[in-house]
Amino acid sequence: MSARVTGLGVVSALGPDAAALLAGLRQGANACAVHEFKYLDGHTVRAPAYMAATPEAKGLIDPKKLRRMDRFCRMCAVAARQALATAGIDVARLDPARTGVVFGTAFGAMTTTQAFVDSWLKQGERHGSPLNFMNSVHGIVASQIALDLGVTGVNLTLSQRDLSFEAALVSALHALENGEADLLLVGGGDELTPLMHEFGARMRQVNLNPVTPGLDPFLPTHPTMPGDGAAVFVLEPDRGQRKAMARLEAAAIGRTAASAKTLARVAARANSGDLLVTTNRGGGRTAARLRDNADKTVDVVLGRARPKLTHRGAFGDFASAGALQFAANVLMLSGREVFAPMSRGRLRNELVAGLGPPQTILHDAAGISGSHACYLLTSEP
Amino acid sequence: MPTRAVAITGLGLVGAVGSSVAAWRAAAAGEKSGLKRLTLFESELAAEIPVGQYDGDLPADFAAARRPLTRREFKRMSRGDLLALVAAAQATGEAGLSQTALSQGGVYLGQSVCGTFSSERYYVESWRNAQNGVAQPRAGVNALYVHEPAQSVDVLAREFGLGGPCTSFMTACSSGANAIGRAALLIARGEAEVMLAGGADSLSRITLNGFHSLQLVSPDGPRPFDAQRTGMTVGEGAGMLVLESLEHAKARGAKIPALLSGYGHSCDAHHLTAPHPQGAGAFAAMKDALRSAELEPGDIGYINAHGTSTLDNDRTEALAIARLFGDAAVPVSSTMRFFGHTLAASGAMKAVLCVEALRQRKLWPNLGLRTALAEAQLDLVREIRQAPGLKHVLSNSFGFGGNNAALVFTRVDP
Repeated sequence: MSARVTGLGVVSALGPDAAALLAGLRQGANACAVHEFKYLDGHTVRAPAYMAATPEAKGLIDPKKLRRMDRFCRMCAVAARQALATAGIDVARLDPARTGVVFGTAFGAMTTTQAFVDSWLKQGERHGSPLNFMNSVHGIVASQIALDLGVTGVNLTLSQRDLSFEAALVSALHALENGEADLLLVGGGDELTPLMHEFGARMRQVNLNPVTPGLDPFLPTHPTMPGDGAAVFVLEPDRGQRKAMARLEAAAIGRTAASAKTLARVAARANSGDLLVTTNRGGGRTAARLRDNADKTVDVVLGRARPKLTHRGAFGDFASAGALQFAANVLMLSGREVFAPMSRGRLRNELVAGLGPPQTILHDAAGISGSHACYLLTSEP
Repeated sequence: MPTRAVAITGLGLVGAVGSSVAAWRAAAAGEKSGLKRLTLFESELAAEIPVGQYDGDLPADFAAARRPLTRREFKRMSRGDLLALVAAAQATGEAGLSQTALSQGGVYLGQSVCGTFSSERYYVESWRNAQNGVAQPRAGVNALYVHEPAQSVDVLAREFGLGGPCTSFMTACSSGANAIGRAALLIARGEAEVMLAGGADSLSRITLNGFHSLQLVSPDGPRPFDAQRTGMTVGEGAGMLVLESLEHAKARGAKIPALLSGYGHSCDAHHLTAPHPQGAGAFAAMKDALRSAELEPGDIGYINAHGTSTLDNDRTEALAIARLFGDAAVPVSSTMRFFGHTLAASGAMKAVLCVEALRQRKLWPNLGLRTALAEAQLDLVREIRQAPGLKHVLSNSFGFGGNNAALVFTRVDP
């Protein structure tokens, strides 16, 4: 059984909604900018990053509920509301018990978690901030979205490092196939905070050169350029009447050791041999090595070498950027167009030369620590 | 459950009362709580509130259950990873699965703060060093690497050579139960033959100070369902189950103490921390679990309740139980005073206790109970009770965000 993607909402460095993402991907807008990150020892680092735009929440979310959401939660909750709006769904008419939320995030609400720790470091362990603690819980986004919409069905949060969104997608598809829900909001998101940037810098994973024009996902010698954002999708069972933007035919998550088998199983669901391959290629030497090996597996499974696109050069490379790639893939299928990848702030049109509008997209994601995920999206007939 | 039956063939447990299912049986028989004074880290709260701390040697436990860890491996693991590993080693050891079977299996692990004990130390040291003008924290990047919840999943996948679906579920205190329920669904629908499933969480400053900030922690320890209860106790631990399709387990001649026969799940959509005042979400999750097990309320012989001993949880859970099952119609107990509230591990540890209840045909005591709460009539189990006809048991797990999960287990007669 497949599922239908009937709506999407996106908050990214390219702008506060899906229209901005679409325009940015088409035109090759460079969302990379130099930002300041204050590290724990007090010194400030200026480095390039893809920080998501601030979305307009007014009119979408009850101001009382909004006050209890931090920046990360707002991004995700606004994306959820956008997704429902693009699908033309009246929230008041949803069946609460048959509507759910499945969300993937590697790190959760980091700013609020840090604020909570700061509260008791500064004021003593008896005086932690209760509001910050309750908003630091890893599953807070799924809970806040459910609370905002009043939906009481499936509510899951998954975390699998850089494949957190893909893990959520697999669970959401299973939940629909099991008949657990009639409509799911499935999404992914992560936020870039100074602390996260410092983590990345200490691990020598992020680019600290402020004059770099933008992420080059195709050059493994360059450290990655982080970003943040969120994307949420309306996923409905195959039987629905609403117009679909794309169909999710299959999705799976496993380990690298079994990736060929997993990929073959998912790719077998493709009706046409003429499929477009997208991947999670981002930046950094280690990730590039993982990706190179994964690309070879993709070619072996598909029987020949194929071009592989990634759009992280447009919105940055972060743990749940897979959600934004999924958005790009849905937009390519629904718009019958192919977006050229970006690298170093410019469109690489030569990488899509000869590629027609895709009808089927196979996405392959190789995660750090031996994880692997893939999914197959097709255009609505 | 849809289509295929799901067998439980291995159990692993580590927590404040010890590191084995046998340690649990001894604690239950002696009605001995594992709660104690916090020594794992320095805390202003240590003298005031007890915790459910595991005092054993986790690397030694793992060595006894499976193999010794190298120094390098140990350095790269969080306390949460070790708790998960020990419980998983016990469970896989009991199940006696071949490496071939494991290589086709996966792991679903429930967590809430698993690596935080390591990463918060890095953060706190960095913060204090910054106050004192010292730049570098002592903790290295390993502390950061292990922060991610998926670290424990990756550790388990590598250790047991798992090739199937591996991921972590983060639904606060219902994480472990949801991980088990989702893993069972995966087997039931034929996506996997074997899954390791459970939950693990270690004590950390964040959880201790967090629950204290919410004024939910009791200086006297938990007294679940007691009229005079004053709150919960934070604990740590892990529970792991080996789940298999019944066909797979039978084909290899495995001992099958129980089936995971039902899973229900709901969201309150009411408040970030407080449960629905009438326990609507708890009721829905239990009802959903019974429906998926194709059972009626009267079929359930014992409920291992969430029973955290907070004012709100116990009242609303009692109301939901009474509404679904009737007044005092089914024996109920909470085992929180043995382990403390082990957060994401809690649902998984209770799952282990439920299977053990079916295996031993015993109902576990609700330690700490003096006078039962008045809001609902429950048949609370005050001391170990023999239950010769015990066939189906239900376990509840509820988390922040109103995230509710219920599991049903069914005894398989040898």
